[in-house]
Amino acid sequence: MDIFLQQLVNGLTIGSLYALVALGYTMVYGVMKLINFAHGDLVALSSFVGLTVYTNMFADGGTSIVAVITVFMFTAAIIAVVGVLLERLAYRPLRTAPRLSAVVSALGAGLVIQNSIMLIWGPNMKIFPSDLFPSTIWDINGVVITFTQVMILGTSSILMIALYLFINRTKMGTAIRAVAIDQDAAKLMGINVNKIVMIIFVIGSALGAVAGLFIGIYYRGITFDMGWTYGLSAFVAAIIGGIGNIPGAMFGGLMLGLFNALISGYISSAWAETFTFMLLIIVLIFRPTGILGEKTAEKV
Amino acid sequence: MTKTNMIALGVLVVMGFIPFFADSAWLAVGTTFLVYSVVAFSQDIILGRAGAFHMGHAAFFGLGAYATAILNTQYGWPILATWAPAVIIPMVVALITISPIIHLRGDYLLVATIGLNIIFIQVLENDLFGITGGPNGIFGIDVVRAFGYEFMSQTNMYYMAFILLGITLFIMKTLDSSKFGRAMFYINKDDIAAQSMGINVRYYKLYAFAIGAGLAGAAGSMFAVQYSAVSPEAFNVLQSIMFFTIVLVGGSASLPGVLLGTIVMFVLPEVFREFAEARYLVFGLAMILTMILRPRGIWPVKFGDIPSFLKKGTK
Repeated sequence: MDIFLQQLVNGLTIGSLYALVALGYTMVYGVMKLINFAHGDLVALSSFVGLTVYTNMFADGGTSIVAVITVFMFTAAIIAVVGVLLERLAYRPLRTAPRLSAVVSALGAGLVIQNSIMLIWGPNMKIFPSDLFPSTIWDINGVVITFTQVMILGTSSILMIALYLFINRTKMGTAIRAVAIDQDAAKLMGINVNKIVMIIFVIGSALGAVAGLFIGIYYRGITFDMGWTYGLSAFVAAIIGGIGNIPGAMFGGLMLGLFNALISGYISSAWAETFTFMLLIIVLIFRPTGILGEKTAEKV
Repeated sequence: MTKTNMIALGVLVVMGFIPFFADSAWLAVGTTFLVYSVVAFSQDIILGRAGAFHMGHAAFFGLGAYATAILNTQYGWPILATWAPAVIIPMVVALITISPIIHLRGDYLLVATIGLNIIFIQVLENDLFGITGGPNGIFGIDVVRAFGYEFMSQTNMYYMAFILLGITLFIMKTLDSSKFGRAMFYINKDDIAAQSMGINVRYYKLYAFAIGAGLAGAAGSMFAVQYSAVSPEAFNVLQSIMFFTIVLVGGSASLPGVLLGTIVMFVLPEVFREFAEARYLVFGLAMILTMILRPRGIWPVKFGDIPSFLKKGTK
């Protein structure tokens, strides 16, 4: 039972990181019908940018709430700018092109970001400092919860609730939903589609940046090619939940995190990805558009 | 004979004479190019012709390679005898694994096939059946022996791969003018319309996967013999992405396009090996630029044209 509860905590932590990354995939897919293969590499980039920002600005002064918040805000801002540039340069020229052309462009963009990280920070693993968060540990009947885990769960819950309210309760959110349903009709209603796409990339990239920083803080070791691994898991999470669907991405992320943790705890982490994709294929066989995805007929 | 056919014949003749003036390092690159172009054509049957978003093709390529490697090193089969299983095993595996997911829409199929490739790699690395050699792979694969002769020089390998490419091109040409090819053409244009005209979309898409997997398996067998070793990383998702990109960068459903794509995506990185670290950066930029400038690939098939075999008697 202890293993189960411990893996439950670990799984929810990883799951909420997956969910944050999955939101970036699902929002872009919802609006542009494009798998943004470069998103995972943006997440990796944010780990490295965050590390550099932290070591340059606060290495000597110790940690304070202000320092940590500054690192997060600064990194998120940089990654958001990169995300917007990515859309401008690699995706916008292809918006009317065949869909697979944009997929190849996204794969190319991922390659560019990944190799830029390698050229700037080197091919070796970098280690994140351990003193960003206090090393407090709570031991509840043998189940260990760290301060970092609490921070991850808390921050991601707040961000997800905020995003949900933003999408469903504000005028801008309504515009985003309108563009996702029908771009042309939205344009006729006076919505600036380019601006909406830009906002999507700002939000998606910033959420990915937060996840990337937490990945660095939680796992400590970061490598230039880790974006692919986390990106793929998060993307699978988005599909399991129903891609294009924001609550679906949150649900899919948490579910996949829990599933992975239980597989690692009870079977073997060497088979984790196999089980992940078997879960995906089984879900898709029975629910071809994901668990929370709407059953829509393809337009003829 | 049309002008395009003349050019194609000319290119083939030139390729046939390459061993006479290339040194052995470049000849090895040439052989690998031929093998990869066969894989790219088999990917094109599935992606370019049947229009199924398939990003796990390296798994079928690897199945063929591992079939040859395992049968030869563990069970002592001669290489010639492993050719048939190297084609049939990927075909059967493709039919079994793809049939439950063939109904998935575009992007979902893409991710599911990535998943198949990742499962394949994990099976190899974790050595599920104790015969795959784990992460190190399998070494010491024999050379082709026939008529008391060992086909082991680079030139021999080159010509074997060249013949395989010739067979592949023949199959592709035959497909184009067959019932299967016409069905593919229709499904790719509009699968719902095709279905309502009585074409069994599911059957033909699976057919495409089976043929594609079989051809990739044959290429895999050739690949295993050329390097006399196989290891999991030669067949991982990145390789699948490369085959996927080759078809789209070159021009899907276009024979010269796919060949050109293989040159751009495979041979050029070999040429620019000196730039070592930065080359994949350039490579990524080139992928973006190609797609922006030529969204349908470098040498696209002319879409909207009715193929000549449909035009007979309507002039």
